[in-house]
Amino acid sequence: MQNILCEYPYQNHKHIALVRLNRPKVLNALSTDLMEELVDCFLKLDKNPEVRVIILTGNERAFAAGADIAQMVTATPIDQINDQRFRTWEMLRLITKPIIAAVNGFALGGGCELAMACDLIIAGEDAKFSQPEIKIGTIPGAGGTQRLTRAIGKSKAMMMVLTGEMIDAKTAYEWGLVAKVTPAQALLQESFELAKIISDRAPVAVRLAKEAVNKSFEAGLKDGMDFERRNFYLTFSSLDQKEGMKAFLEKRNPDYQGN
Amino acid sequence: MSGFTYLNYKEENHTAFISINRPEVYNALNIDAKMEVIAAIREANKNPAVRSIILTGEGKAFCTGQDLNDRSVQANNGGVDLGHTLQTEWNPLINAIRDSKKIVIAAINGVCAGAGISVAIACDLLISKKEVKFVGAFSKLGLAPDAGSTYTFVRALGYQKTMEFFLLGNPLTSDELHQQGMINSLADNPLEAATEMAKTLNKLSPLTMEMIKKNIKASLDSTFSESMEREMMSQRFLGNSADYKEGLSAFLAKREPQFKGE
Repeated sequence: MQNILCEYPYQNHKHIALVRLNRPKVLNALSTDLMEELVDCFLKLDKNPEVRVIILTGNERAFAAGADIAQMVTATPIDQINDQRFRTWEMLRLITKPIIAAVNGFALGGGCELAMACDLIIAGEDAKFSQPEIKIGTIPGAGGTQRLTRAIGKSKAMMMVLTGEMIDAKTAYEWGLVAKVTPAQALLQESFELAKIISDRAPVAVRLAKEAVNKSFEAGLKDGMDFERRNFYLTFSSLDQKEGMKAFLEKRNPDYQGN
Repeated sequence: MSGFTYLNYKEENHTAFISINRPEVYNALNIDAKMEVIAAIREANKNPAVRSIILTGEGKAFCTGQDLNDRSVQANNGGVDLGHTLQTEWNPLINAIRDSKKIVIAAINGVCAGAGISVAIACDLLISKKEVKFVGAFSKLGLAPDAGSTYTFVRALGYQKTMEFFLLGNPLTSDELHQQGMINSLADNPLEAATEMAKTLNKLSPLTMEMIKKNIKASLDSTFSESMEREMMSQRFLGNSADYKEGLSAFLAKREPQFKGE
């Protein structure tokens, strides 16, 4: 069975792809194979000029319930180093197109980290987030102490990482971990609606905007501002910018070509 | 369906009946009884043939809350962590009712006390015998109300009435709660009346019931614009459902709709 399923075009929309984590029996535990397939799929979608937005989702019960514990129980540090799992995680950062994580059910451990590795998270009302590694004698290894802290602040991140307890979608929303909460059943449709809006925006600008926002996690304010300004200048070399501003003045919808 | 010790469970005409069966202690709940109610609600939610749930009690009481004979709540020298009992037993029970996708009707056959009132009020619809007493027993034990009752009562009764109820400990009757809108109707045989109501519910689309329950519940904790946003998203979802198509064509053809929950 395939560990992931890719639907493109999703709902006949030529700019949107839906990627589903597909190990329902193990709540979409993130095995090394799954992560490799996922990155492989993302890279292909990233290369396809027609694709503008990617939605990543799981199923009703789980987005992803973390790493594959069965795979790790007797592992040594060297096994962990030799396992190329984290290389695939690093490669997620290479994707230039916006990835929306649509989370229903559990996003635990690696699942929470995978959602955070996406550009934004939309959660169904029943979604639950946690970094439970501490409960089984280890700690997050794919961004759970870093991205979570940046998203919700030190005190709350400490509470989550040190207790391993879950938070619900509403709390995740209030803490700024997720952008929007929807009724569970409406999650995919709402993610699609959002993807449609983003896919209507100028692709070059979307890419540069994503880069700039991500830069804010890496750089100090001054360097970040410089980076932003350079990307801002750069948009003026795109035809999309000319088209966008012209359409605005002519009071019509822009028709972006992504160049 | 069997396998329960402290309750009776059956599924009949698309309704699951859960009846707490500890009449000798007025349906007070020990830990196992609470876990069974949770399990029964899950069971009912799992079976797609079940569309509604009725919760009631055997004997003279609906539910009188914590079984004080349970060792886990008895105060020893160092005191007792009742928070743990709430966290691991009562709150999951209340949440099981509140989170049940299927509508839970309480058929209040007799007295509700302590956390038993929270169990009753957590249900989506309440039908009660007349003159049933609701006793907030907490203050007389040296405790404060729990299991969500501070949230539900103050929203229904207002601040002063709720303070009086929980401080002085005078019981409210089902008649008074009916007037306040916390009980839907009074009936000599609440179980029969609840069964009738369930019949009507069972004809609705399960999706509709689930969405209505979720959205009304969520609106209690939301701003106006958040509520409108949630309504919009639900309606967008329902508009794409097969049940809506069926509802619409049944309406136009002037016939009864046959909803499938799709």
